[in-house]
Amino acid sequence: MDHKRIEWLFLIVFLLIDIYLGVEILRSPVNLSNSNANTANTNIRTEMKADGIDLPNNISKTQSSGYYLAAKNNDYLNKKISTLSQVNVNYSKGNNLLTATPKNAIEVKGTRDEILNKIIKFKNDPRNVPFGKEYKYEPTMSGDNNYIFVQSSEYGNIYDTNAQLIVNVKNNMIDNYALTYLGPVSPVRELQSTISPWHAIKAMYTDRELSNNSRVIKIKLSYSKLIEVRGSTILLPSWLVWVENKTTKNITLKRVNAFTSQIIQTNTAYNVEK
Amino acid sequence: MKFKSKFSDLILLIVTAIAIIVSIVLWIFIMTNDQRFSQINQANNSSRDQIKNRNTKSLYDLYIPTSSYGFKDGELYRLYDSKNNLSFEFSKDMQKLKVTSIKLKSSSQSSYEALLKNDNYIQLTYPDQITFNLFTDVSVKKDNRQFNRIFISLDNNNTMLVGNDKNYKLYQLNLKDANFDRLRSYAKNAHYKSQVEFIRLKSGYTAFYKHNEKWNVYSYLTNRQTDSYFVARLLGTSGVTSRTSKKGHTTYVLNYYTRLKVPKTAENNNDYFYTHYEKNHYTTPTDRFLDSIYYVHRIGLMEQDLRFFDADDSSIKYTNYVEGTPVFLNQHDVQINTNFTSDAITVDFNSTNLQIPIPFDGQTTTLESTNDLMQKLKNHGMHEDEIDEIVVGSKVEKDGIHSNLVNLVPTYYVKAYGEWKSAKEWLQQDLSAYQVPVNQESR
Repeated sequence: MDHKRIEWLFLIVFLLIDIYLGVEILRSPVNLSNSNANTANTNIRTEMKADGIDLPNNISKTQSSGYYLAAKNNDYLNKKISTLSQVNVNYSKGNNLLTATPKNAIEVKGTRDEILNKIIKFKNDPRNVPFGKEYKYEPTMSGDNNYIFVQSSEYGNIYDTNAQLIVNVKNNMIDNYALTYLGPVSPVRELQSTISPWHAIKAMYTDRELSNNSRVIKIKLSYSKLIEVRGSTILLPSWLVWVENKTTKNITLKRVNAFTSQIIQTNTAYNVEK
Repeated sequence: MKFKSKFSDLILLIVTAIAIIVSIVLWIFIMTNDQRFSQINQANNSSRDQIKNRNTKSLYDLYIPTSSYGFKDGELYRLYDSKNNLSFEFSKDMQKLKVTSIKLKSSSQSSYEALLKNDNYIQLTYPDQITFNLFTDVSVKKDNRQFNRIFISLDNNNTMLVGNDKNYKLYQLNLKDANFDRLRSYAKNAHYKSQVEFIRLKSGYTAFYKHNEKWNVYSYLTNRQTDSYFVARLLGTSGVTSRTSKKGHTTYVLNYYTRLKVPKTAENNNDYFYTHYEKNHYTTPTDRFLDSIYYVHRIGLMEQDLRFFDADDSSIKYTNYVEGTPVFLNQHDVQINTNFTSDAITVDFNSTNLQIPIPFDGQTTTLESTNDLMQKLKNHGMHEDEIDEIVVGSKVEKDGIHSNLVNLVPTYYVKAYGEWKSAKEWLQQDLSAYQVPVNQESR
């Protein structure tokens, strides 16, 4: 009888050991490289939540790609002034800024979309705006009476004060516009990978660029000016992050270098207020 | 009744025996599962992972093929496309696909060489052999099979061939969710300018340029971080002491086991030497690769153009690649050299970052055909079987006017007797000192 009892005891003990070992094997992670990264990511997410930072639901963790681009510095706008037959032009060579007022009143009435369509039709006419077709509307930067367009290229949009078109509307009329133009851009080196949007947000958070109690509204890969060198402007891909202060409702545009994940401190002049 | 009791006794005995055997099998499985142990090893190093996750990109950026080749009218060319980066495209495709199985297809020199000449394939090459385990977790068992060349068929998305130049082994990878269509179209539209042929040298098949080639000289603005930046990255901020030797070299030390020797300010060099004393636990090449990546990330240099460059039994080298050519700093140094010895890990690195690329201004340099260079090396006394590899690399030359501006001048670099040097240096070098020990070497 004792012998039988010992056998039962053995059976129970070894069954327990089997269960324990089985659970250990099932718990054993299969993928080496990602498991730790995931826990670290989750921690940062929790920390951000505790700091009152709201993020959009689906921030991608997939890397993107981009080029270093260069635009040759040239007096592009000055050369086009003679073709602008339907506007009165004022050109400032120092900062390559062209301002113009329509010769004939152009009425823009209706809903915001209708107004926008009329403005787009206006800017696409080369007699009104030089290189107008290269500019794309940017709603997050536009206000009630001004419509901001950014210079686009086949590689992506350029967000810089030297590459934008601001159309001002007053009393349902196009009042005037201000235009800067960087010129055609071309890649300086071959295509390279960039960091993911989530990586950019993480970098901003660890560099204390995301203040407590703020909301990330939008994140987008675009080109920003890096430096002027040898008569060219060098642009690089950057993650543009629109951050709203939850209390003041002010929206600030921040930039993260998409190659190095460093915060681009210069040229963060846009302080967009809606 | 007695029979019933005996029967239940027997059942109990069998079940107990099975339970004991199962527990032994499970225990053996756990103890021999190396993946499990490497995981435990990694989990202990949580600080390592934090660094890995901070400002770094994926392993696929560091381990990316550096050259691509294709055929046109039966002739082999090195492919280059200024707009679409073929290697990068391949790397993106690789991240989407799944490898379902790897099997050895052949290991004979003749079939390997036949495939090298097969114009139905686009070839992408790594500068040196890497392991399958770096990318895949197909097999749980130790897999130290290596490869350096990838063959993408012009019409098949379900399989891919990879080969190892050193031992002529060809593996067939069966793939799921693979699509190389875009890579093929890029390859089709790339520039077929440099005609090459693959010549067998000591460590593999090297692309020999058949004719004189014009190479672009690219320029960069450089920057470098301060000593304190590297001290903080590699040694941390607390418990670090420094001492200066009589010769004027400053070394920062943490807990006796870890030290960083920084360059002298008076000397115009940017070479740092990091040493960490630790009993070597690197049993597989994959372990060494993964650990070297950890150090590369930890140093905190710009990794934009940094690529795996060269590996041997004890060291793994990384350097910047600009438009497909490796950059050599000083005379013939790479950016980062990680060394694994039995009792220490050392990392030599140069702090010069190629920060901002300058638009190409039209400056070019012409290099002779590789056969002409080979002839010169032979005339100088270097035998063909002593040469590991020949590549066109870029020599960093300071611009006369701007101190932060450097020009990357293409020139031939030759690896012989285990050392990288420019062809010019080798041609001025007295080879007799090298040739004696090498003949005795068993490698």
